[in-house]
Formats: sequence, structure tokens, C-alpha cells
Amino acid sequence: MKKILIVDDEQDIVESLKFVLETADFTCYCAYNGEDGLRLAKEIIPDLIILDVMMPKINGYKISRLLKYDAKYKNIPILMVTARSQEEDKLIGEETGADEYITKPFELDEVVKTVEKYLK
Amino acid sequence: MINILFISERHEKIDYFNKILNKNVYEFLAMSDETLIYDVVNADPPDVIIIDAQISNIKQINKTIKSISGNAIIIYLITDSKVDKEFIKYANAFIDDKMSEDFIISTISINLRMKNSLEMLSNSNKDLADSLYRLNALYTTSSQFSGTLDKAQLIQYMIDGMDKALSFSLTCTLSLCTSTEPVLILNSLYELSDELIEALKLRTILNYNSIFDEKVLPVKIDINNLKVIKQIKYPASRFTFNLFRFDNMFTQISLGDNIFGCVEIFKETTFTPEDATCFQTIAQQVSLPLKSATLYQEIIETNAKLEKLERLKSEFISIVSHELRTPLTSIKNSLDILMSGRCGNITESADKFLSMAMRNVQRLSGIINDLLDLSKIEAGKMDFNFAPTNINTVIDYVKSALSEVAKSKGLTIVTEQDNNLPDITADAQRLEQVLTNLVSNAIKFTPENKIITISSKLVNSRDIHINDYFKDSIKLSDDDYVLVCVKDEGIGIAEKDLLHAFDKFAQIENSLSRKAGGTGLGLPIAKQLLEAHHGAIWCDSELNKGSKFYFAIPVIKIEQLV
Repeated sequence: MKKILIVDDEQDIVESLKFVLETADFTCYCAYNGEDGLRLAKEIIPDLIILDVMMPKINGYKISRLLKYDAKYKNIPILMVTARSQEEDKLIGEETGADEYITKPFELDEVVKTVEKYLK
Repeated sequence: MINILFISERHEKIDYFNKILNKNVYEFLAMSDETLIYDVVNADPPDVIIIDAQISNIKQINKTIKSISGNAIIIYLITDSKVDKEFIKYANAFIDDKMSEDFIISTISINLRMKNSLEMLSNSNKDLADSLYRLNALYTTSSQFSGTLDKAQLIQYMIDGMDKALSFSLTCTLSLCTSTEPVLILNSLYELSDELIEALKLRTILNYNSIFDEKVLPVKIDINNLKVIKQIKYPASRFTFNLFRFDNMFTQISLGDNIFGCVEIFKETTFTPEDATCFQTIAQQVSLPLKSATLYQEIIETNAKLEKLERLKSEFISIVSHELRTPLTSIKNSLDILMSGRCGNITESADKFLSMAMRNVQRLSGIINDLLDLSKIEAGKMDFNFAPTNINTVIDYVKSALSEVAKSKGLTIVTEQDNNLPDITADAQRLEQVLTNLVSNAIKFTPENKIITISSKLVNSRDIHINDYFKDSIKLSDDDYVLVCVKDEGIGIAEKDLLHAFDKFAQIENSLSRKAGGTGLGLPIAKQLLEAHHGAIWCDSELNKGSKFYFAIPVIKIEQLV
């Protein structure tokens, strides 16, 4: 089973994503802050990461950059999730190597479809 | 008494003239010594000098007289009516040995009268020149006043004007440019000692207080906090306390009904009544520009405050909206999961309420998006992807997107497109947003079994007719425009509400809008989006008959737009 890491400081959102992804037969790992997220990413080497931008301590952009510049992890697809929707934020996200950009509020089915697209 | 100097060596003539002139109340003095003449004339200039042409050193005498005579009347005493041409250039008149006493006296008095008239004329001339100079100074000052809105500069112009018109020794000007920091400007000809400055400070404060008599002072001036600005013309010399014996004038400087300050002016010589008028005039003239300057300053301050408020508002909306999205996402996700049946079967009534919750989540989400859009546009942060766009593509897209919704309400959307439209420079996504909003509104406010028409055509701005409500606020260029119209057969908008249709949060008739849903932000957003395209939006409507919403976008190149 493919491994998905969900990193978001909003527990409720992590919970709902975990539920739908597990229903779609993925194994989910969860982290509720940037630091745990980064550590877990290196530990389990997931097949895909769903990453929130606005988190205390280490934000999503930083994590994305750290992983994408490391040969060992750079092939892991990253879906960036944020409440921000301004164009410049999107640009920063692309610069930091995120593969996909999802704006809150998002459709759960859309997320599942996107994940499946990367993990086929 | 008229002084007469008689220069002659002939004793019989001296005696004769002494006799006739003394009788006629003249002060008579006779001499012949050249050096003595010089001294006497210098000490007490005579009014009339009579020179005996027979005198031996006549050439030398003429030279002396020429250098010292000033305004004296010069009369030559000649013999046998023989006029030496040399004398003509000095003489005012000639008298002859043989003339009668009356003739001599009348010659002198005629010349005296002429001299007096000339003096009066010269004095009037001088007064006229003075007045002209003063008028010029007043004119210069008043034109300077109209050239600035800086209060400190206005006060400086006032002092300069007084200097030009009145040439004072010292002015003490107390000005309250800001009520927290009164300033005393000392504009002085000579240097002022510290003691003298202290005395002037006290004097000015007492003067200022005296304006208000027994009334409450609007600003109480503390001598220790009174800032002094010294402007000294000739610092090498100094004024003493003798200054307080100088002639002085004092007046207040008004600011509308309030007092802006006061000014006192000192002069070593006395001021004339004209000086006083001039002084008052200048002090009064500065009052109006000071008022304008104060108002101007207030406007600037208010504007800065408003700008800050506007910025805060935009930031606030943006932050709040972002903070709202996160919990909203959680609610929406939970509803999605429940409604998908992944947590077990749902009864019919549970589904009804879950759908209700979902509908409202979507509505809330729409409001947040609208608010964000509007705050972004207002903050100038909205990004547009301008590209050549065919409006018909936009119309087709919106029609297909909303057909289902319309059908569910029993409405039909039809299009009347001009298929040969040129491309416009536009952000297609934003135009879709505008048109979606207009058509959604039409669907919302139109009863069953009616038709909604979307039409497009190319027109020159000359042929675009905008109704009286919007005519003044819309300015179109001379270009060709693509004109789009969304026509419905709905409830329409009352005349009084037409103008406010594009105002923020201005939904017409509250009960209805609640039933229809919506934020009241759709049309203001559409207006702003179209203005970013150099376009315009307006509407025609008749209550209970239907509405026509128009928008026009110019057919211009992208370079013209940016």
C-alpha cells in the first residue's frame, strides 16, 4: 500500500483527509507541525506528502524546499494546501518545488483524484 | 520770517535795501566777504539772495552761491537794465537800480510765492510716491499670501510686507501655528540682548492676554515654553531698553472667529495714520489665507487617517477571510464524508439537513471569496491576465455552466451573438466571473417559465445610449466597444434603487435578497473588474417588467490598456 504523509496543524483537516484517503486504500501518516512533518518524511519516506503552508515553527514552503533540494527525497510529490490564494503565494509555492497547489476550502474527492494521479 | 541775504560793497545800496525790506518784515543781512557768505549760508540758509552785479569779486561769488544756494531765490541787482548773460543761468529774477520800492518788493514776493508752490508740489509728489510704494508692497504681500498654504511661511510674508511698507525697527509676532508650540518671531533691525528678549516675551504674552480681556484664553502661553525665532538685519549694532520708548502699534491676527496670534511693531520715528491703516490691512489680509491653510492641513490629516483606515480595513478583511477558510474547510469535509455515505446510511430527513448545511457552507465560502476579491481590487492587488479574448467564448461558457440551474427553475437561457466580433483585451476568467454574476442574478430574480437573453454586438461609443442615471458617472472613449447585455423578465429594480445597484452591500429590498441569497458584493465586484478593463457597467430596469444589465469593453490593444 502506498504511504501518504499529511502535515497540517489543523487536526480536523488532517482527520478528514486521513479518512477519505484510507477509504481509498492508502496508508496515512500524520504530523501536526512542521518539525514532526519533516522528521517523519525523512523517517518513513512516503510516496506523497500533503503539506499545509501556514504552520508554526517550520512552514510548508520551508519543508518543501528542504525536501526538494535533497536528492534522496526530491522525487516525492508534494501537494501544497493553504488558505491563501493570492497569486504571489502560488508563485512562491512553485519556486519551492511543490508539485500541486490546493486552496482551502477544497473538495475531498478532488484531493483523492489528485493523489491518485501521482501514485498510479 | 523770510531771510534775505544781500551781497554788495556799496553802502548806499545796503542802507536803501535795509530800509525798504525791514519795513516789509523781512530779516535782512548784508555782507561782501566771500568766506563769511559761505559760513552764514551754511549755518542758516536764506530764502532769498540778492547779489549786487557791481561787486568786485562777482565771478567768485557766483561760484560760491552756485554750490551753496540750495533752494534760495537768487536775484541780481543790475544797473541800467544791463543783463550779463553769465548771470542768467543762476538768476531767478533781476532788479534794477531805478526800480521803485513797490516793484522790488513785489518781485521778491512773487518769487517767494512761486517757491512755496513748487515746494508744495514736490511734497505732494513725495507723498504720492510713498503711497505708490506702499500700495506696491501691499500688492506684493497679498499676491505672496495667495501663493502658499504653509502657515509659518504666511506669517513670514506678513512680516516681510510690514517691513517693506512700514520699515520698522522691530516686530514681535506671536503665532500659534500649532497650539502646543507657540512661537515668538522677533524680526529686528539690530541685535537684542537676552534680557531684552525676556522683556519682549513677557510684553507679548501680556498683549496676547489683553486681546481676550476677561474671557478664557483658548491657549495659555507659558513664558518658559515660548519658542523664540530671532531674525536680525544688522547684528553689529544692538537695541537697548530705550526700545520701549519707540512709537509702537499692536494688532491681533485672526483666524476666522479664533485668534491665531498677535503682532507688535516698533519704530524709532513716529507712525503716521497711513502707517496704522497699512499695518491693520496687512494683518487682516493674512487672516483668510491662514484660514485656508488651516483647512488644507485638516484635509491632509483627515485624508491620511482615511487612507490608513482603508488599508486597515483591507488587511482586516483579508486576514479574517483567511482565518475563516480553515474551519470552513473542516465543516465542508465532514459534510462531504457524511453525505458520501462512507460512515453509514443516511435517512431522508438527515440528508435534507445535511444538504442544508452544505448549501450554507457554499454560500459562506462564496461570501468570503467575494470579500477577498473586493479587498484585493480595492488594494490594487488584483492580478489580471490580459490576453486577446473573444467575448462569445465567455458567453458560451457561462451559458453552459448555468443552463442546468436555470432549467431547474423552469427558465431558459438564450443567446443572440454577433459572430464577427473582434477580440478584446481581457482577462477571460474575470469576465466569466462578471457574466456569471449577472446571469445568476437574472436567474435568482426571475419567476418560472421566463427567458433570459444574453446578447453581444460591436458598437461605436457614439451609438451607446446610457440612461440618465448612469450617464454622468460613465466616461467612454472614442473607441469601438463590445457591448454585452443580459436581459431578464424578472422583478426589476425600482427607479430610486437603480443608482445604488452597484454599491457595496446594497441589495435591493432586504427580505427578497435573503430569500434569493447572495452577498450584495457581486455587482460592485463586477463594476471594479470592468473598470480595470477600461469598460463600464450599467442597467435599465422597470419594476415588475424586467432588467437589462449592460457592460461594454473597448476594442483596444493590450499596450493601450496597461
